[in-house]
Amino acid sequence: MQRRIKKVAVIGSGIMGGGIAALMASAGVEVLLLDIVPFDLTDEEKKDPKARNRMVDNGLNAAIKSKPPLFYDKKNDVPMISTGNLEDDFDKLADMDWIVEVVVENLKIKKELFKRIEGVRKPGTIVSSNTSGIPLKDMSADLNAEMCQHFMGTHFFNPVRYMHLLELIPGEKTLPEVLDFVAGFGEKMLGKGIVWAKDTPNFVGNRIGIHGIGKAMQIMLEDGLTIPEVDAIFGAPMGRPKTAIFKTSDLVGLDTMSHVSQNTYDLCVDDEERDTFIVPDFVKKLVENNQLGNKTKGGFYKKELTPEWKTLRKVIDPTTGEYVDLDRPTFPCLDAAKKCETTAEKLQTIVYGDDKGAKYAWKVTAAACIYSANRIPEISDTVVEIDNAMKWGYNFEMGPFEQWDAIGVEKSVAKMEADGMAVPENVKKMLASGATSFYKLEGTKRMFFDFAAGAYKEMKTNEKAIVLADLRANNKVVKSVPTCSLIDLGDGVFNIEFHSKMNALNGEMLDFMQEAGKYVEENGVGLVIGNQAGGMPGAFSAGGDLAYMLGLAKAGKFDEIDSFIKGVHEGIMGTKYSPYPVVAAPYGLTLGGGCETCMSADRIVAHADLFMGLVEIGAGLVPGGCGMIHLWRNYIESVPPAAKVTDLGGFFIQAFMCVAQAKVSSSAADARKNGFLRPTDRIVANKDNLIGEAKKEVLKMVDDGYAPPRKSKRVVFGREAQGMLWAEMNNMKSGGYITPHMEFIAKKAAVCMAGGDVKQGTPVTEEHLMKLEREAFVDLWRTENTQKMAEHIMKTGKPLFL
Amino acid sequence: MREAYIVSSVRTPGCRRGKGAFAQTRPEDLLLQAINELMARTPGVEKKDVEDLMIGCAFPEAEQGLNIGRVIAQMAKFPDETCGATVNRFCASGLEGIALQAMRVKSGWSDVAIGGGVESMSIVPMGGNMPRPHPEWSKENPDVYVSMGITAENVANRYKITREMQDEFGYHSQMKASNAKAKKLYKEIVPTEAVKYVEKNGIYEKQTFIQDFDDGIRESTTMEGLAKLRAVFAANGSVTAGNSSQTTDGAAVSMVMSEEAVKKFDLKPIAKLVAYTVAGCRADEMGVGPAHAVPKLLKMTGMKVEDINLWELNEAFASQCIYAMQTLGLYDKRELWESTSDKRIINVNGGAIALGHPLGCTGAKLCAQIVTQMQERGAKYAVESMCIGGGMGAAALFELCD
Repeated sequence: MQRRIKKVAVIGSGIMGGGIAALMASAGVEVLLLDIVPFDLTDEEKKDPKARNRMVDNGLNAAIKSKPPLFYDKKNDVPMISTGNLEDDFDKLADMDWIVEVVVENLKIKKELFKRIEGVRKPGTIVSSNTSGIPLKDMSADLNAEMCQHFMGTHFFNPVRYMHLLELIPGEKTLPEVLDFVAGFGEKMLGKGIVWAKDTPNFVGNRIGIHGIGKAMQIMLEDGLTIPEVDAIFGAPMGRPKTAIFKTSDLVGLDTMSHVSQNTYDLCVDDEERDTFIVPDFVKKLVENNQLGNKTKGGFYKKELTPEWKTLRKVIDPTTGEYVDLDRPTFPCLDAAKKCETTAEKLQTIVYGDDKGAKYAWKVTAAACIYSANRIPEISDTVVEIDNAMKWGYNFEMGPFEQWDAIGVEKSVAKMEADGMAVPENVKKMLASGATSFYKLEGTKRMFFDFAAGAYKEMKTNEKAIVLADLRANNKVVKSVPTCSLIDLGDGVFNIEFHSKMNALNGEMLDFMQEAGKYVEENGVGLVIGNQAGGMPGAFSAGGDLAYMLGLAKAGKFDEIDSFIKGVHEGIMGTKYSPYPVVAAPYGLTLGGGCETCMSADRIVAHADLFMGLVEIGAGLVPGGCGMIHLWRNYIESVPPAAKVTDLGGFFIQAFMCVAQAKVSSSAADARKNGFLRPTDRIVANKDNLIGEAKKEVLKMVDDGYAPPRKSKRVVFGREAQGMLWAEMNNMKSGGYITPHMEFIAKKAAVCMAGGDVKQGTPVTEEHLMKLEREAFVDLWRTENTQKMAEHIMKTGKPLFL
Repeated sequence: MREAYIVSSVRTPGCRRGKGAFAQTRPEDLLLQAINELMARTPGVEKKDVEDLMIGCAFPEAEQGLNIGRVIAQMAKFPDETCGATVNRFCASGLEGIALQAMRVKSGWSDVAIGGGVESMSIVPMGGNMPRPHPEWSKENPDVYVSMGITAENVANRYKITREMQDEFGYHSQMKASNAKAKKLYKEIVPTEAVKYVEKNGIYEKQTFIQDFDDGIRESTTMEGLAKLRAVFAANGSVTAGNSSQTTDGAAVSMVMSEEAVKKFDLKPIAKLVAYTVAGCRADEMGVGPAHAVPKLLKMTGMKVEDINLWELNEAFASQCIYAMQTLGLYDKRELWESTSDKRIINVNGGAIALGHPLGCTGAKLCAQIVTQMQERGAKYAVESMCIGGGMGAAALFELCD
């Protein structure tokens, strides 16, 4: 029978339970969220269903209010969740297709719960535990055989919506059919990256992760480094999140971290690094003092306000356990790494340096590599699982084995031996076999070294996924400039890949896109605009490169700005009216020019985590790449033409506010709500599938018979918009809500979006709108205030409101 | 010139916009019930005797459009011969409707006429459904379209009305209204049938119920609570939801008659509408309107502030109402307006901060309140006044009949 997930029960409404419920609801599944009846009810309250559900309702509310948001689309997703308690609503579990347990980490409680579930669940229902540390075999010891066949671990990471990792842990008797199904559902519907883990304490990500944190602390204390020194090394320079070691711990909570550490210590009696899991005394003291990190407004780091409202940043001195002023330390190896291009080069520069920081980085990194290799096959069968877990669950740019490749396996092993470290047998064997890296490309195939087989094996990747880096390595790049490439995706579909810093658009890329367009017209059937930059959420394109235009403006070369924007318009409209379909595949930050590029495509296939907006006003500008034209199009053309729209104001105000307030969507669903995405644009849950899905969309459009959009006139709100807005701006100005230059820019945007000085309802040409946009753009650059604003945002990354 | 008498005067409760009891009730239905009760309280007068209805409305469009004055005459089953018109002077519209009828009577053009006002701010939003300020004029002089809240901030800033003064004034308004509600002092209220559409298991069902009290009154108001509210119209402003009038739904009407008609129907009139006037001021501080209109009214009628026994000064905003009282020398005499004072004569049962300000209805609503209280208290002279968007004030003088 075809297995389907129509209803899911999530038991436990804490941070993880709420997050899992939100994710399931976003996938379109009906969710029953359950929690216990509060212990402290009065006799009166015991009869009140609301009071009985207080725990779960509070949990759901916390999920709804969570920042960053856990829901993609609150309005539509929240009603998918109903709540109940474990006494009155337990029988409802009989209707569920999947029951996810996310209750407190206590074996006895979990065992009792599963025993109760066994009594009500219908045969075939999948039951999984989100435990992060308790062995499955202990929890399922006395469950019946049929339930054990459908029992497994599904370990999500916090925050559930944003962390790509989903660890799946088969039980001893879990049916392969069930495992395959959950993996497929997790990948396609929940958008997760699957790592297969074994039933060992803390599974893969947290086992390796907590060791890394423990080791970093241990060696920090031995070598006498400070917390800011450690974080300076193990952040961005090493391809790790900016929050590095200690800020990440503050984020997770020192109590949770200590708990995971202790649990590993207790359960992994034979671990050769067991001492690493002993929580250092200074950390224990912080936990005892309830200094748990961000949730208690102070952990390793703390912000203090002076009476003058100045923020003082403090950090714990591990030798005394007291807060001291925070400084920004650096090491020669870090300064040298700044000059390196790639993360691999940075890693080499740091771990093979000879200052105090470099020596520390080496010890910690080497220990992590060794520990990871020693965990195969204990916690997972391959290096791939461990690397993926660390990339997807801890946001490392590279997993431990990729890092090891980056610093050179032979070179590092020699250094480890020289330093008296115990190099794992499996790595020694690999080197002895002549293999010198954990990964390599063989023709078109990505291979990894399989310790069990003693040979390279092909990596199994998600079938839908297209990896641009692999195509690049396989010489599929057709054309390239330093910041942009055209890559052959096969089947006549080509991909324009940005690879500038934050994928910001510049003149070179715009020229290249025109050239690439010509190539596709002659040689292909369609085009995808997509890239796969890392990071969470990552940037499809964070906007336009302002430096060039600012330079022109400062030199008074406004005619050149005008002709530059003319070129931009020609490029954008050239793509739009090209004789082949163009599909944009945005994810993460898709701002300004990036947003405009997408909106000019025939269709958008977006990742669910899409932060899209026209934010030019923050740089003192209006959108210059037809963004306002296309946003207005999205609003006005989403109505069937037979409908008579009498109040264009209802459309105009919303569209205008998107630009005037630089609104950025909180998800792809939100981008659709605000008109950045059209009803025909698609949303994909799994980022790995984005370019594959975009390619499929191109081919489908080709197959259906593609014709470019017609050049038709579009009705505008005209002069009436100006009447409305000038009057409202007066209120905002009087109320002190808008600064003079912001008002000036907002009025320019209003004129552009309203189609200038025509009667409301007049259909106007695109050329007319393009002319207005260009004029507004150049006029703004002429002002000193816009130049100041642009310069400020370039320098600081933050808008200056003039 | 002849005299014009207010013979009867009624109002529906005022109910909160959006969340209140009338949010889903059509404005015509509110007005219709007020008119029917007015006729019931004017015994002997039949609908055929009424010559005309003049209905004030600040946003006479959509549900309130199509000349609601004539529509309502027909809906209320007046004969075809009875006429109807709509009049708009924003917040004075309801008083304007009554004053226009009084002027007809005084001039001898009419004997029996109804004046009143209606506004469903839930159904027709303030500003209208499709505001379209003139594009060029809004560049030259946007102040004519300025938001009322900004004008209140301007008054507060220019005339130094502090946040504390405004909050205190709002607090007293709530306390006076709470007292009046508890003691059932609003005898002019018409218990009004309202409707709401309620969802039950995905199916909507129409429910009707009777509303007989103003639902915006907040008995639990405290100074501390008011102090916590944020300014709503200006960053660092002082005008809050707690010291501004509420946006409200309601209807109110008065029967205006000549002396001949009063005698003919053998009725005992409540009060004479002695005089009505309007005065203009700067649009961006429209709240000072009463400070111009009331002195003008007193001068016209040869009266002094001290002669007036009862006041209804519309509380559009505490800032402007306090300013008007200061100008008239009334504010410092706190016993005249504080909720704790037995000697109070200003907004004796609370004002729009507690009871709501249903724009076009307000003038007629305050008329119903003031003539009821004149009768109750035996107050000889009473003045009703309000500020008006666009920069105006209106004021009317009533004299109690023996």
